[in-house]
Amino acid sequence: MKPETYSTDYTMWRLLAWCGPIFMTVFFFMWGVFAGNLPPAGADLDAAQITAHYLNNGMAIRIGMSVCMVGSAFYMAWGCAVSKVMRRIEGPDGILSNLEMMGATITCAPLLVACGIWLTASIEAPQLPPAIIHMMYWLGWMIIDIAYMVTTFQIFAVGIVFLRDQREKPLMPAWISWWGFVTCAAFFPVSLIPFFKTGPFAFHGLFNFWIAFFTWYIWVTAVSFNIIRAISRLQQEDGAASPSAAQQRAGVLITG
Amino acid sequence: MSILLKPAALIWLLLMLATCTTTWWLSKDAFPATVATVATVLIAAFKARLVLLNFMEVRHAPLPWRLMFEAWVLLVTAAVLSIYLQTPMNT
Amino acid sequence: MATAAARLQQARRLPGVEGVWVFIAADMAMFGLLFVSFMLERQKNLALFEHSRHTLDANFGGINTLILLTSSWFVVLAVDAAKRNRVQRVAPCLAAAMICGFAFTVSKALEYADKLRSGISMLTNDFYMYYFALTGIHLLHVAAGCVVLAVLWKRARAGTYNSAQCVGLECGASYWHMVDLLWILLFPLLYLLR
Repeated sequence: MKPETYSTDYTMWRLLAWCGPIFMTVFFFMWGVFAGNLPPAGADLDAAQITAHYLNNGMAIRIGMSVCMVGSAFYMAWGCAVSKVMRRIEGPDGILSNLEMMGATITCAPLLVACGIWLTASIEAPQLPPAIIHMMYWLGWMIIDIAYMVTTFQIFAVGIVFLRDQREKPLMPAWISWWGFVTCAAFFPVSLIPFFKTGPFAFHGLFNFWIAFFTWYIWVTAVSFNIIRAISRLQQEDGAASPSAAQQRAGVLITG
Repeated sequence: MSILLKPAALIWLLLMLATCTTTWWLSKDAFPATVATVATVLIAAFKARLVLLNFMEVRHAPLPWRLMFEAWVLLVTAAVLSIYLQTPMNT
Repeated sequence: MATAAARLQQARRLPGVEGVWVFIAADMAMFGLLFVSFMLERQKNLALFEHSRHTLDANFGGINTLILLTSSWFVVLAVDAAKRNRVQRVAPCLAAAMICGFAFTVSKALEYADKLRSGISMLTNDFYMYYFALTGIHLLHVAAGCVVLAVLWKRARAGTYNSAQCVGLECGASYWHMVDLLWILLFPLLYLLR
């Protein structure tokens, strides 16, 4: 087997990197706009009001949530692309790229579970007692929100690695790393949602919904487009290196 | 010690004095509540601006950055005071 | 005259890297929103807020302000020492700043313990909800700041920071001053509004 025949499949990298924007689009429109979570129904609604919300928007929520359950996997695929680019900065022994990939992967879990619960609620709303629908509505929010630390680790890993980039023009602009740290900071108050039904710290409130979610949305979007650009730059760097070096790299890929 | 250090020490002293004034003097019941509160908020804004300009060195920052931070202090103070003054007092 | 202005323009810079200022600006914007939402909630519920406020001990808040101001001043001294190449002086100043940070944390813990002992918690009413949430979020910033100061202190002891190399120190310093600044505004809102 000739080692030179192996070369990096940057097209695949790019494809996975585009999963980020796909994820954002799906979630924004299907979860947010279509299924009526922009703004969310609210933590201050009682059981009858929540049930009415599910009865009135039953079909939209059913379609929105089932599409989002499928769409959440794109976050995982995107996480792989980010992790690969990170590895080119921190080297094969770097651990933060692993942390990023784990973070992205496990972020899917609460999304899947919460959307699954809301989906079930939308199907069962006509025959279940309102108290149960209310419980399912809250259950979804508790799971999707208080799992934030998983994503915090991911964002933190991305921030640190791209700040360590020694290139004259770094692969990722520094402000995105710092915006990531802002996102991490904005996530912590989400731990307050069990205690609030109104005000900025409720799960539909100014802080714990609008700020926490949108700082993250901006971060994912900014990272996605810069990762796509970074992949092209890595490809150019490969081409600029001497052919023998490229061959050596291919060899390393085989033996290592 | 050195000339350049002196301003920082002076600003620190000023900040400490302002804090003592609002916490242990203006808070006394002898002062009318509205006057004392408005003064307290204004002093806090003044302190925040001192920290921004001198400790955080925003005084020497590029103009857009400086304007943004000054605007933040102004906006927060204006919002707090206007909401405070619009709150009817029944006491 | 024109050249002097040009030179001034050239010298205009923010301490540290620009990224840390993105963080500071965003963090301050969030706190600004929190301050305003506190005020709006107070407007809706003045009697309750005023009554609850009286159970807070302004001495704690005032002393905490003095502690943070002093801490900030030590950080100013540390940065100044580095810029004048008094490398030996940087670490002690940072240590002093860090001790102030710990003192703030201890004082806050005592205050929380006192409230909890008298049966007051976050769930008591809307005022205490804001009180615990806002001071808690701020306390997280203080805790993170203490970690930053500890790292800077360790590096300063190794003689890392001097006039040619102090960007990291400046970043940490700017963040720590922001923590101070936010408390300066938070303290009167919670403890002193009458």
